[in-house]
Amino acid sequence: MALMTLRLRPLPHPDSFVARLDPRWKLAAMIVAALAVSCLRGLLPALVALAAALILVGLGRLPLRWYLSRIGALALFLLLFVAFAPLLIRSNDRVFPLGPLSLPYGPGLALLICVKAVAVVTIMVVLLVTSPLSAHLTAAHALRVPGLLVQLAMLAYRYVFVVSAELARMRVALRVRGYRNRASRHSYHTVGQVAGSLLVRGYERAERVGQAMRCRGFDGRFRALAECRTRAADVLFFLAIAGGAVALVVWDLVQR
Amino acid sequence: MPAESLIRVHDLTYTYPGGQRALDQVSFTVAEGECVGLVGPNGAGKTSLFLCLSGVLPIPEGAVNMAGLDPAKPADRRLLPGRTGIVFQNSDDQLFSTTIFDDVAFGPLNLGLPPDQVRQRVSDALLEVGLSGFEQRVPFHLSGGEKRRAALAGVLAMQPAILLLDEPSMYLDPRGRRELIRLIKALSVTKLIAGHDLEMIRETCTRVLLLDGGKLVADGATRQILSDTKLMETHGLEVPHSLTHHAATEQHHKD
Repeated sequence: MALMTLRLRPLPHPDSFVARLDPRWKLAAMIVAALAVSCLRGLLPALVALAAALILVGLGRLPLRWYLSRIGALALFLLLFVAFAPLLIRSNDRVFPLGPLSLPYGPGLALLICVKAVAVVTIMVVLLVTSPLSAHLTAAHALRVPGLLVQLAMLAYRYVFVVSAELARMRVALRVRGYRNRASRHSYHTVGQVAGSLLVRGYERAERVGQAMRCRGFDGRFRALAECRTRAADVLFFLAIAGGAVALVVWDLVQR
Repeated sequence: MPAESLIRVHDLTYTYPGGQRALDQVSFTVAEGECVGLVGPNGAGKTSLFLCLSGVLPIPEGAVNMAGLDPAKPADRRLLPGRTGIVFQNSDDQLFSTTIFDDVAFGPLNLGLPPDQVRQRVSDALLEVGLSGFEQRVPFHLSGGEKRRAALAGVLAMQPAILLLDEPSMYLDPRGRRELIRLIKALSVTKLIAGHDLEMIRETCTRVLLLDGGKLVADGATRQILSDTKLMETHGLEVPHSLTHHAATEQHHKD
């Protein structure tokens, strides 16, 4: 029951060129980049996108070990999906071109999924680490993202911590009453009940947090202290990322 | 000349959508600068009353007046957070930002204050609750007492005229509780404190309202209400130990 041993730490916020960019331009550029990567179907463009994402990791001065641990967790998750792809997906007449090479369809598709997933997650990790969440929420508001979506994003982040704390308490409560996780019907039943309890408690807490926010004058709009100011570097960064992303998509389309 | 009433509640009745009556014709006033305790057994309606006073639960017009504002009127309700602050029972319900600074600044920013003033208010509020230097700390990683003080700072930063504290000493260890009592006593705003910690109510409040089954059953001086054994036991409460001891000593001296 790995979920029951979840431990959360706050994100690092290293100072860097990317961290100093206007969050609005940064958010817009990264969203365009992530969407572009998710549209790619060729292995080579996807690998180029991953290389560009890794350059962003360097520019954002992300702690390497921290970054690799996050990608490692993603790799475990991806493994569930891609491990069987080469065996289950076969196509005799289709191959995955990779420069001068050609990969069989199944392994090629598995590799493409992995590369794209790592690239998209890397872009999002760079985005999250290079600005505090409040700055992203304000930027999202400034970019006219619907208020409901912004609130959902903020509360989702906040609840990761609350739910993990709740889970830790429930885990202790289970253990002191002799519960040990085993592959048995009783264990599955217990895990199901814990998940249900978490949902109910989460709902009730959401009500209370909403009330507390309204009592402090919250009207659905997030305000931040940091004033957003556009500089030439912000526009250049956006143009470079968005332009690169569009170029990759065009290249990918031409390749098809 | 008596001080002006800052809280006026007249015949306030609230029934939850499920049909459960939480408050039944509750009426009282609280004068400016007064610190009033709100006691009662579980389910008495203390939290519901706070939610009505702070405009969270819908109430009929004219039943409540908070520093000149009627929480039932939408226009007044928008101004209410600037005049009435509520500290919830569980601090985790109140702290949601990624840093203490952001959390304390949340209210002043919603009031539309300029950045310099917001920073000043955050700094003053954190100093007041003894959390200076905690600005960049993550709220979820604080101790229970620190969370409580951070939640209080978030409300104090809005400089409300009225402060509603719901079970403020809950989850606190003796030292945290003692610090909170000292802090509450030092605050000059009008305060309404709900709780089961009757020793804390005795130390901080000059007047007590006793609520049971949604009805206001007693309103009087703290000592008079809390030392009335029959009244307290009838409504599922106990006379605080300090008053019992004191009463016994007084009796001994009389004898």
